[in-house]
Amino acid sequence: MERKLGLTILVSVFLAALMVGEVYAQTVKAYMGTSPENNVKIVNFVKEKTGIQILQTFQSFGEIEAKVKSEAPNFNADLIVGCGSPLAFMAKKNKWAVLYDSPGWKGVTSEFIDSDKNWFNIANFSFVLVGNRDKLKEKGYTMPKSWNELTDPKWKDQIVMPSPLSSGTANMIRYAFLALHGEEQGWKFLAALDKNIHHYTRSGNAPTDLVGRGEFLLGITSDENVKKRIDEGYPLLWSIPEEGIGYDGTFALILSGTKMMDACKKTIDVLGTQPFSDMMAGIGYMTPRPAPNALYGKTTPKYIKLDLGWAAENRPKWNDVWKEKFRTEFK
Amino acid sequence: MAKAESYSVPESTFWERLKTFVNAELINIFAALLFLLLAIFLLYPILAVLIKSVKDPQGLTLGYYLKFFTKGYYFRSLQNTLLLGFINTIISLVVGFCLAYLTTRGPIILRKPLKIVSMMPLIAPPYLFAISLIILFGRNGILTKAFGFNWSIYGFTGVVIAQTLAFIPLAYLMIENTLMSLNPNLEESAYDLGASEGRIIRTITIPLLTPGILKAGLLVFVMTIAEFGNAAILGGRTPFLAPDTYTMIIGEADFEMGSVLSVILIIPCIIIFFLHNYLLTGKKFTTIGGKPVASEPRKMTLLVKVPFLVIGFAAVFAILISFGVVLMASFTKILGVKNEIVFSHILNFDSNRAIYNSIQVSLIAAFIGAIIGTLLAYVIVRGKFFGRNFIEMLSLSGFALPGTVIGIGYLLAFNTPPFKLTGGIMILALNCVFRFLAVGVEAGISKLHQINIEIEEASADLGANFMTTFYKIILPIMFPAFIAGFIYTFMTAIVSLSAVVFLVSPGFELAAVKIFDAAVYGEIGVASATTMKLVAIVIFCMMILNYLTKKTGFDISQKKGAI
Repeated sequence: MERKLGLTILVSVFLAALMVGEVYAQTVKAYMGTSPENNVKIVNFVKEKTGIQILQTFQSFGEIEAKVKSEAPNFNADLIVGCGSPLAFMAKKNKWAVLYDSPGWKGVTSEFIDSDKNWFNIANFSFVLVGNRDKLKEKGYTMPKSWNELTDPKWKDQIVMPSPLSSGTANMIRYAFLALHGEEQGWKFLAALDKNIHHYTRSGNAPTDLVGRGEFLLGITSDENVKKRIDEGYPLLWSIPEEGIGYDGTFALILSGTKMMDACKKTIDVLGTQPFSDMMAGIGYMTPRPAPNALYGKTTPKYIKLDLGWAAENRPKWNDVWKEKFRTEFK
Repeated sequence: MAKAESYSVPESTFWERLKTFVNAELINIFAALLFLLLAIFLLYPILAVLIKSVKDPQGLTLGYYLKFFTKGYYFRSLQNTLLLGFINTIISLVVGFCLAYLTTRGPIILRKPLKIVSMMPLIAPPYLFAISLIILFGRNGILTKAFGFNWSIYGFTGVVIAQTLAFIPLAYLMIENTLMSLNPNLEESAYDLGASEGRIIRTITIPLLTPGILKAGLLVFVMTIAEFGNAAILGGRTPFLAPDTYTMIIGEADFEMGSVLSVILIIPCIIIFFLHNYLLTGKKFTTIGGKPVASEPRKMTLLVKVPFLVIGFAAVFAILISFGVVLMASFTKILGVKNEIVFSHILNFDSNRAIYNSIQVSLIAAFIGAIIGTLLAYVIVRGKFFGRNFIEMLSLSGFALPGTVIGIGYLLAFNTPPFKLTGGIMILALNCVFRFLAVGVEAGISKLHQINIEIEEASADLGANFMTTFYKIILPIMFPAFIAGFIYTFMTAIVSLSAVVFLVSPGFELAAVKIFDAAVYGEIGVASATTMKLVAIVIFCMMILNYLTKKTGFDISQKKGAI
């Protein structure tokens, strides 16, 4: 008898686990590529303003790109909130996005919204150089003034930067250096830099934490979390070397085939509002609607001249070159 | 003449004939259904990987393999992976044996504590050790700063240490289980005849343990080369096949090269699987031993005791420290930078949904897995159909298939209609079911071997139909195997990463993946806190299961040993 009782309880536990399902009113599934904590901020913002619950997984821009490419045209998500320009342009080209003329995005400049309403750039971000204040002092080093100083052998194994294969930040970093030096010289610079790189991280924000915790002296990293980490007490120094920095957008788009069109549209609408820009600027982003930036203040950083569309076209080629140069053979 | 007799049977209705047919052929029907399931959820995904690795838009090609063998990078990756596998297997077996010997023949007071600590890593994600090694030995790690170490934990050594600590419990459990079922009489006799303890271990204990040790070795080897969490967090630029496969699929959508790496990863596993089966044929002597005979434990001689204790304690100490620092990190603001006590990591509820999903997936997987495993064991032992050995091999192959490969296989096989399962919860559960099936099947097989088929025949002779016999006789006998399969699948599924990482989708995140992401990202506090929550939940679930199984009259610790 007792054996049967046990079995019954086991079965009921199992069934209970199955039954307890969705409790949210309206949910959409999204691939979100900002940092995990910023993803949560965006999710909470959307929930507060619209009541829509976004279910999301954190992935780097490059990973979202890989995922969307491999799933097309049967996407496992309703929308993307936060991917890089390569995927945004690819989605437009392949008609993976649902065209939507959002009332929430009226009056936004063309840099932030696609002319055909395929994608919406919720915020621009950049990369900066970060250093560990305490560790640099210990060694008697100062923050480099120019990107070229990073190739100095004294930094050997002391620099971390993200991998351009998985990270959108790194894709932006790579392209910025190619644009700065021209392709041929650019690759030479990257090769010289590679000699000092300890390893390439998966996500664009990881160097901020790794350098902040004192694991490495310098990092080339997304500017997204720098302000927050400094506020939290990480001994971080950050700077924009004299040559300037690159930038990329953080794109949102509705994936075709969604069954939650209404909720998707509402989500896109709210991402174009002033309060959303205010929140993103408070984190350190450059936003579609002007707002005081937490990291750069009122000054606009010096940007390297870029053509994101052209860079998106060249991304596959550059990935191949990068793999060939920095992964395939060992020094 | 015989013909005439069969015609004399009175005509029966269609339903009756169907019933008789089903009753007589039920075992074959089951076998066919189970084979179909295995074919869809185990063979087909593996085949999908194989096909992907030799296909390009123009047709069949070996180009990707050529690339693999001509580029130094991939070769280094293979070399590192195999080396990691062998080193790890050997260390885990040695340490596992020492621990198992201590907990079965060592000082009584040490047995229980040693056993508990040795099994602790089973309830945590394997890459807990990568996190703890960074906390301790990272460039800004606690011990690095305290003693001014100048060596780097990032690289091959770090990965070996982390993986070894993660897989010692596996080796320990399997060796301990064989050691427990070993009849001590042989050892006692040798002892009485004057053999030294060292000699007894060398000439009696270890040879008798061969099947257990081989199986443990196989499992540790496969798990080591497939579980990529530690290598991805600690590897730096040292290439290993499993994390490289992960990067290729997740980061670059390079399915072709990812598939090639998967196939290469399978080869050593399959070789070892067959080698292990070959070596084991005719060596099943340990199972005959039956229940251990209660006898007064001999005192271990000092010459054996001291080295065993040193090795055992070193491992146990390392495991405890690792759990300790991770626990500490979950309450520290920024470990090594701002060592203030905070509760914000623990109170960070972003991962709650993922933890909930993990429990749900593991429960579903455990339930389905235990049922399928028990049925498979039954048809394998009692069935008399063609291809029985093949089904047995197939269902036990889960032992030898690296998780990454099955994960990628599922992604390739079930991503397009009509078989579209990705983006849901069932793909996660089914993946766990078929990956961890082997344990339930094996437990079931060994249970069935213990009972004579005469009981079932008697039941049938007394007029019971197959279902009644199954329900009244077979099910109760197989229940312990069911529980063993259930618990193993549940525990392994809830902390495993290597396959499910490819299959999570928005809304169906799993805790193990979430922790891995946080750790890779560098958020040690959040990663540690989520790990601790997961560990607490696994312990809680185990306690409930333990209570339930005790209620049902089975000793769980014994069943866990059967794993």
